[in-house]
Amino acid sequence: MRKKIKIAIAIVMSVVALWGAAQRPRQPDLHWQAPAQAAAQPNPLANQPQTEVGGRKLFRRLCSSCHGPAGAGIGQAPNLQSFDTQVQTDGTLFWKITNGNLDRGMPSFANLPGLERWQLVLHLRHLEEPAKGH
Amino acid sequence: MRACFWLAALAALLAAMPAHGQESPYFVTYSHHLEEPGNLEIAAASTIGVPKGNERAYFAPWIELEYGVLGRWTSELYLEGQSTAGQSSIFTGWRWENRVRPLLREHLFNPVLYFEYEDINEADKIQKEIVGHALDFSEPNSEVRREHAREIEGKLILSSQARDWNISENFIVEKNLSHDEGVEFGYALGVSRPLANLASPQRCVFCRENFAAGLELYGGLGSTEQFGFSDTAHYLAPVISWRLADNHSVRFSPAFGLTHGSERMLLRFGYSYEIQGFGRKVASLFRGKP
Repeated sequence: MRKKIKIAIAIVMSVVALWGAAQRPRQPDLHWQAPAQAAAQPNPLANQPQTEVGGRKLFRRLCSSCHGPAGAGIGQAPNLQSFDTQVQTDGTLFWKITNGNLDRGMPSFANLPGLERWQLVLHLRHLEEPAKGH
Repeated sequence: MRACFWLAALAALLAAMPAHGQESPYFVTYSHHLEEPGNLEIAAASTIGVPKGNERAYFAPWIELEYGVLGRWTSELYLEGQSTAGQSSIFTGWRWENRVRPLLREHLFNPVLYFEYEDINEADKIQKEIVGHALDFSEPNSEVRREHAREIEGKLILSSQARDWNISENFIVEKNLSHDEGVEFGYALGVSRPLANLASPQRCVFCRENFAAGLELYGGLGSTEQFGFSDTAHYLAPVISWRLADNHSVRFSPAFGLTHGSERMLLRFGYSYEIQGFGRKVASLFRGKP
């Protein structure tokens, strides 16, 4: 009986935590800023645009469940097509993919090889916002 | 026997489901990479023990349910069983573990705090971690299954990403609440990397980017009653993981015993399936909208 109570408590705690996380409003995190040195880093794949296709594949596997297949955002995950995202430097996007923002639900992808993270940055530049009015 | 049947049935069911994500190739060592928030990973794994001398070989399967509760917190439930040649197949217990990452960003060393409670019996042989002194597996299941062990365990996980390499160090402390064995210690070290660093344009199964390989070294460090390497088990284990498809991956590791107290070999297999956005899907059931 005690075992069942422990398991029930574990499940309830998990659901409450999940619920709390899901209720947070979607607001830009002003503290999530890349250091200047990281932000200034150029994309080493910038002159190999064909590698973007691999980035698309990675995006579909790793990012689309939260950001949507076109990067338009789902729930509290931001729209990656937006001006706010696209105005950021390649180095900033790379830093954000690498470090994540754990308190806002964005995981760190530091376990991906560095070049694959740069492929993701290349692909982010190919996300297009649908024309207004459509 | 009935519990083992259900474990086997669940494992078979999982094998039939579609499955994601480059799994860490480690079986024993933990890195600082947690489950993505809201994702549920279901894994079926096993340890096959090849003992020295005339002792009987054994098969110890387990099921893992790993859920990313928050970005900093991953929780995991294990259900464990064991079958020894010429003896019985039994359910050996469960454990609940939690990993919390205190630091927000990537650093040179990334700490993770690990807490576990386990309620198993002494017939448990999955050897998910090696602590204390060398274990004696020669006693029959019919006797050791009656001895229950409620244990708490803590780990300090330190992990680094150096270029494309992951280097992880785990320091383990375990206390058996059912028996007075003192506090036991252990360690696990791991190094691994993916076999390719650039994603190819097409979907592929056998390309190098789907593989990660590495090496683990783990073992016991005695207890507060006798600390050190005397009469302890240590293993050196090459590890490899293979992402079969977006959600499916398998792992394999032959662990070679290094000391007199070690088994000759532990063969470990694992299969995992990740359900992305599981938490969001469950939450949408309660909210009544997708």
